[in-house]
Amino acid sequence: MNDDFSSVTQKIADGAALDERDWQTLIDTHDLIALGVAADDVRRRRHADRVTFVQVVDVPVETAANGGTLPDQAGELRLTGRPASVAAAVAAVRAVVARAGSVPVTGFALEDLQGLCGHELGRLGEVLLELREAGLALVTEAAADTLTDPEPVFDVLRTSGLTLARLTVGDVAGQAAFSLVRRVATWDGAGTVCRAFAPLRPAEPSRPTTGYSDLRQVALARLLVDNIDSIQVDWAGHGPKLAQVALTFGADDVDAVPAAAPDDLGWRRSPREEIRRNIVAAGFAAVRRNGRFETLDVHDRSEHE
Amino acid sequence: MTVESTAEKVLAGGRLSGEEALELYVAAPTSLLGRLADTIRVRKHPTGVVTYIIDRNVNYTNVCVARCSFCAFYRPVGADDGYVLGFDELFRKIDETLAVGGVQLLLQGGHNPDLPLEWYEDLFGAIKARYPDFKLHALSPPELLHLSRLSQQPVPVVVDRLVRAGLDSVPGGGAEILVDRVRRLLHCDSKATADEWLSVMRVVHRAGLRSTATMMYGSVERLEERVEHLCRLRELQDETAGFTAFITWSYQPPNTELGGAEATGIDYLRTLALSRIVLDNFDNLQASWVTQGGKVGQLSLAFGANDMGSVMIEENVVRAAGAEYCMDEAEIVRNIEDAGFAAKRRNMVYDVMGDPFFRERSIPRRTELAVARLAGDTTVPAEVSRYPARSRPGKEQRRQAAQQPELGTGD
Repeated sequence: MNDDFSSVTQKIADGAALDERDWQTLIDTHDLIALGVAADDVRRRRHADRVTFVQVVDVPVETAANGGTLPDQAGELRLTGRPASVAAAVAAVRAVVARAGSVPVTGFALEDLQGLCGHELGRLGEVLLELREAGLALVTEAAADTLTDPEPVFDVLRTSGLTLARLTVGDVAGQAAFSLVRRVATWDGAGTVCRAFAPLRPAEPSRPTTGYSDLRQVALARLLVDNIDSIQVDWAGHGPKLAQVALTFGADDVDAVPAAAPDDLGWRRSPREEIRRNIVAAGFAAVRRNGRFETLDVHDRSEHE
Repeated sequence: MTVESTAEKVLAGGRLSGEEALELYVAAPTSLLGRLADTIRVRKHPTGVVTYIIDRNVNYTNVCVARCSFCAFYRPVGADDGYVLGFDELFRKIDETLAVGGVQLLLQGGHNPDLPLEWYEDLFGAIKARYPDFKLHALSPPELLHLSRLSQQPVPVVVDRLVRAGLDSVPGGGAEILVDRVRRLLHCDSKATADEWLSVMRVVHRAGLRSTATMMYGSVERLEERVEHLCRLRELQDETAGFTAFITWSYQPPNTELGGAEATGIDYLRTLALSRIVLDNFDNLQASWVTQGGKVGQLSLAFGANDMGSVMIEENVVRAAGAEYCMDEAEIVRNIEDAGFAAKRRNMVYDVMGDPFFRERSIPRRTELAVARLAGDTTVPAEVSRYPARSRPGKEQRRQAAQQPELGTGD
C-alpha cells in the first residue's frame, strides 16, 4: 500500500473531506486488496460480521391481479415494471397485498412514479400516500443518475412515510459511476429515506464490466457513502461469485435472492441454503431479512461446520 | 505459530510447512491471504506483465473407462454419443487455431481402450509433418499411464515413443487431489494413484519435457488434503524443476455422478492465494476463468495469479459440467489491462511471444467456445478402423467397417 493511499484511507477514517487528488488516488489504485481492506474496515464498524439477504418474488405489475401460489420462502413480493397509470399501480398493490399475508409488498421505480405524476412533486406525494394506504411497504428503488435535485424528492418521501429500499446507480458504469458515487455521498439526507445503496448496475453481456472495476466501485461506495447504512449487491444480477466476493469489499446486503429454484435448472441446493453457504464461506453471519429490512433469522459459521 | 508470525515468515521468503499452511488457510482473513500471495507474485514477476497463451483445448475422444465420479464429460465404451476425432478434423482445428495466432494444441481425452499407442504416434507424426512449428501439449499423466497399460510398455518407453512422434510437453490434468483417500472416494484411484501421477510426472521431467500441475478442489477432500496436494507438488518440483505452472479450479458438480455444490468464489481466491504461498518453487500460477468466469478470473490477478491461462478457443470438459464462460483474446487482454498489467502472449514454457495478436491483425470476436463435435455427429473417422480395438463394441465397429468400407469415411 503506498503512502498516498494510506493517507486517503486515514482521512476517510477520520471523517475528513477528500480533495480532488485524494479522489483520484482512490479511483486510480490498482491495489485492489488495500481498497478492499479499507472498505471492509468501514463496513465492519457499521455492521460487524452480519450480512443481510432477502428472498424476493418478482410480480410483474401487469399480472399482479392474477392469482397463484407464492413460494413459501419469499421475504418480499416486488412489483416490477412500469404501471400504466396511478390507478393501475394502486390496484396492483392492493391485489398483491391481498394474497401476501405477512410478506411485505414493495414496488416501482421512483422515476416511473414521477413520470406518472408529470414530475410534479405535490402529485408525487399524493400518489405515494395512496400507495402506502394500499399496503405498499417500500418503494423498490430510485436511480441516482435521474435525481438531479434529490432533496425535494427525499422530502416528499419523508412526508409520505414511505422509504426507498435502495438507491441505485441506474444505467451508469465506469468513471461515470465513480462520479455518481461521489455525488451520492454528498446527499446528507439520503440515509433517512434510502435503506441501501446499490453501486453496481445489473450485469449486461453487451456492456461487460470487469471484476476489478465492480469491486472498486463497491469499495468506494462503502468508503465514501457514509450517509446510507447499507451497501447492496444483487445476487441474481451480479452472479453469486462476484456478489460473494463483494461482501469482503464493503457490501453488507444481498438483494434479489430467488425465493424458489427455477423448475428447469434442477439446483442441488435451495436458494436459501446456497446464499447462507456463500455468506458464511466469506466469513460472515447470514442474516435473513424481509422486504422491510426486519431480521427473520441468523445463521453463523458454527451452523455450517 | 500465530497468523501474524506465519505471515511474517511468508513475507521474509520462508517456506511454510504443511501445518503452517493449513493454519494460515483456516485462520487468515481473505485479504491477508491475497496480500501475501500478491507480494510473492510481485517478487517473482516485478515487471507488471501478465501473460496468456493462444491455444486450443481439444478433447480427441470422450470415451473413457476410468469412470471418475466427478466427470460429466466421459461416455462409456459403446455409448451412442461417444466420439473419436479424426485426423482431418484435428487438422481443421489447427488451421483455425493458427488463424487466430494460436501456437499449440492442448490435447487430452478419455481413456479409450480402442485407441492404441500407435494411433497417438501416427496422429502426432501427422500433425508435425503438416505443422512442424506447432506445439503439442498433450496427454496428462493418467492418459500416459493408460497407454502404458494398454501397450504393455513401461511409462518411460511410452513417453519416449510419443516424444519421438512429436509430443512437446505434458498437461497436468488428472491430478485432482493427490491423496489416495480422496482418489478412492472420487473413483479415480484406478486411473492413477497419487504416487503414480507423481511418478509419471517424474518420468516426463527426466525425459526433458516440461509440464504443468493442477489441482481440482472442492469435491470430497478435507482442507489438510488440499495442503498435502500442494506440498507433494512442491516436493517434486524441488527434485525436477519440471513444472512451468500451476492451475487450480473448483470441482464442477452439474451433470456428474458425484453431484453436490460448487465451492464458492471466495473459496477459489483463498485456495489460489494459498497455492501461491505454498508453491514457492513454481514461477507461474494461472487464473481459471473457464470455471470461475471472467470477473473472478480477473480478480485472480490480485490473489497470486500472473497468467490468464489459455484463450482456449474450444472447451468440452467443463462445459459438460455446466460452465460456459468464454473469453476471446481481446476480452482477456481487456481484463489484464483493466487490472493495471501489461498483457503479453506467451508459449508453454512462458517465453514472451509478443503483444496481443488481435492488435496486429483483424480477428472476428468470439462469444462462445467451440466444441469438439457438434451434437448428433456420430461420424467414425476412417483411420480409426486401421487400429486394433480392445473393447467388444470397438471390435464390432471395426468388423462392420471392414465389411462396408464406404461407411465411416469421415469426409
